[in-house]
Amino acid sequence: MERTLITEKLAAIFRNVFNDDAIILRDDLTANEVANWDSLTHMLMIGEVEKVFSVRFKLKELGKLENVKNLVDLIEQKVKS
Amino acid sequence: MEKEEIVNRLTPVFRKVFSDNSLVITDELSALDVENWDSLSHMLLISEVENEFYIKFKLKDLKKMANVGDMVAIISSKF
Amino acid sequence: MSEYLIRKAIVNDIPFLADVVIASEKGMSDRLSFATLFNKTEAEVKDLIMLMLEEETEGCELSLSSFIITEFEGRPISGSGAWIEGLNGALPSKILKSNLISYTFGEKSVRYLRTKAHIVQDVLIEREPMTLQLEYFHILNEHLGKGLDADLMHRIEENARAQYPGLGKVQCQIFKNSVFSIKILLRHGFRIAKSYKSADEEIFDYLPYNEKLVMEKEFKN
Repeated sequence: MERTLITEKLAAIFRNVFNDDAIILRDDLTANEVANWDSLTHMLMIGEVEKVFSVRFKLKELGKLENVKNLVDLIEQKVKS
Repeated sequence: MEKEEIVNRLTPVFRKVFSDNSLVITDELSALDVENWDSLSHMLLISEVENEFYIKFKLKDLKKMANVGDMVAIISSKF
Repeated sequence: MSEYLIRKAIVNDIPFLADVVIASEKGMSDRLSFATLFNKTEAEVKDLIMLMLEEETEGCELSLSSFIITEFEGRPISGSGAWIEGLNGALPSKILKSNLISYTFGEKSVRYLRTKAHIVQDVLIEREPMTLQLEYFHILNEHLGKGLDADLMHRIEENARAQYPGLGKVQCQIFKNSVFSIKILLRHGFRIAKSYKSADEEIFDYLPYNEKLVMEKEFKN
């Protein structure tokens, strides 16, 4: 899947889960900058990503996600395989 | 049993458990208001109250007891 | 010489720690959020908590390394969990905890959570980075009233300062109806800093109470 498509779909997930149509995904976007990104919405977001992209994340992989770029990279890598 | 009677019988129990002969119990009185009302003396209190009224509090009764008013209501419901 | 031994928790303590987490989470109620928000039984939750602790993630409430145990006659009789938020570049604990739960509880549970999340969001509180977060503090009934809470609090702060000498603050999030724990914290120099109340009455079905306090203690360095 093209990286731009991944980013597009991810942006839609973020806007939906974090309830904010104005969210713009930057590579360096982190949880601390998004108002409704709390422990519950984080779980919902991960769940949606796994569903939309048909992937499953390992705990170690989740633990390395510090910003949106890491997440897009990980999705890209998993969707290829 | 009348609320007044319950309060009259509870007062000496509270005074004994918390070692305070001047303690006055009100509906809103809770652990936050009494210096030595901690989880340990709370268990003692429950036991003494059960003995005084010949009742047994169920676990769900205890969970609902936030203050003396709640306790009085629950005791009342057992008669 | 005290008959109590305070030490770091190890893998063998995990079943006891799971009981500590469950007792602490229920507080003064019988509501276990891990069960109510994810549609699990308490027995299932205990197994899942043990699995999460076994992952030995660092830096959140479900980290084995966050816990200290008190031993009496060779058996654990208290468990306390505390960590420094964001220490050494760690991810926010809310993310670490959520990763653990997502991964361990499974997608069916997360789908269930989706329908309930809105009820409890008012009492989800951010944790201040580089502060000590005190989350679990449970002493078995038979060992209350022995002054153990003071020793534990002291040890927790000592351990934290060893990890981060510049430590300026301890925070504790606690439901307002946990009166005995609140009293213990007040006695140890904590003050009520903020309060968060839920507008949704339904919250009583899922969490111990509808209002959560942030209690804080500051250190002068």
